[in-house]
Amino acid sequence: MSISTSRRDQQPVFVLHTYPFKETSLVVELFSRDHGRIAAVAKGARRPRSVMRGMLQSFQPLLGTWSGKNELRNLHSLEWGEGLLLLQGQALMCGFYMNELLLRLLPREDAHETLFDYYAQTLRQLGQIEHNPITLRRFELAMLQEMGYAVPLTHDEDGRAVEAERAYFYIPERGACVVQAKTAQQSGVQLAGKTLLDMARDDYADVQTQQQSKQLMRVLLGHYLGEKPLHTRQLLMDLQQL
Amino acid sequence: MRNPPALEQLVEALRCLPGVGPKSALRMAYHLLQRDRKGASHLALSLNRALEVVSHCNLCNNFSEQPTCPLCASEKRDASQLCVVEMPTDLMMLEQTQAYQGMYFVLMGRLSPLDGVGPREIHLDKLVKRALDGVVQEVILATNYTVEGEATAHYVSELLKARGLKVSRIARGLPMGGEIEHVDSGTLAQAMMERRNVK
Repeated sequence: MSISTSRRDQQPVFVLHTYPFKETSLVVELFSRDHGRIAAVAKGARRPRSVMRGMLQSFQPLLGTWSGKNELRNLHSLEWGEGLLLLQGQALMCGFYMNELLLRLLPREDAHETLFDYYAQTLRQLGQIEHNPITLRRFELAMLQEMGYAVPLTHDEDGRAVEAERAYFYIPERGACVVQAKTAQQSGVQLAGKTLLDMARDDYADVQTQQQSKQLMRVLLGHYLGEKPLHTRQLLMDLQQL
Repeated sequence: MRNPPALEQLVEALRCLPGVGPKSALRMAYHLLQRDRKGASHLALSLNRALEVVSHCNLCNNFSEQPTCPLCASEKRDASQLCVVEMPTDLMMLEQTQAYQGMYFVLMGRLSPLDGVGPREIHLDKLVKRALDGVVQEVILATNYTVEGEATAHYVSELLKARGLKVSRIARGLPMGGEIEHVDSGTLAQAMMERRNVK
């Protein structure tokens, strides 16, 4: 009976990353809709004739079947899911960036259906349109909120409604603070009340909102990510130097 | 029971091979010392010699015993085309086809953001210098059709196009003798999206 209860058939998944495992296998980090982030061994997936070999690619909606109760599951099969996504050029790097954020911030075995759907939707947008930084801003905000990190936008830390014309200092874990001499010493970002209200309304038309929301998300993500820098960000900086 | 220190050291050294854990390493060490001492000594000598004489070709970045490898030094090759591949095995596969007479550049890897493999690790500065030698007219990107290979192709093409070079990418689609009924749907969808006009 234990086998049947631990088996999961045809689950919607995305591959976040793979690592070589033993001589011919791979460890696959999967983001599944109903079971959250799980790690599974794809046995023999590095053999030349492996059926799974060509399918273990990121950014494609797949249906995965796995079993096992250990932290490392056994991946039995993969099938193409709904629709093929074509990420190209810069959109690929945006995809890697999202995957890195999920690998770093999303705890294992914690289902986040809404975040999964949002991730799939963001990938579809990245596949369709020219590079648009707002797509990533929206994903970053949605991801933090879905993971349960509060990002209050409409009210300041004392519960007063945020005023568009006012300048605020946004501090992780505290929220928007009215600018005072003492707040300036803490790690945070200074921005206009309008930026916060725009973000709450999901309106990124204003150039200032685009710039300030980027700074805000960078500070917030930096706070939750800790010391270790993001590889994708470093890679983009290195590329610009060439 | 503990093994003699020299044996322990050998086991530890063998573990630097990919996919070799403590158990396989111990098995290899026993085999070399017990069953095949001649082979072991040959392995040690070959390893030493390879380390001494093999380095990277200054043009194509492939492994070479000379500063410029025989392929790059050959006058029969078309120096106006430069094909970029990930690994030496990819170069060998392309050579087997006998369909390409140009030059190569071997990255020795691919951009892999999540593994921390960036432009420095795959010698992009060397590639840019190589491609701008004034003779190369076209750069053909033959990196893998994986997400990492695609990302690599994209950034290499951006770098080279910005410097005025013609850049192309190898085609993809159905394999030789491929039957639509049996091809995987990812490939088929790609082939449909990237269809070309019939001349």
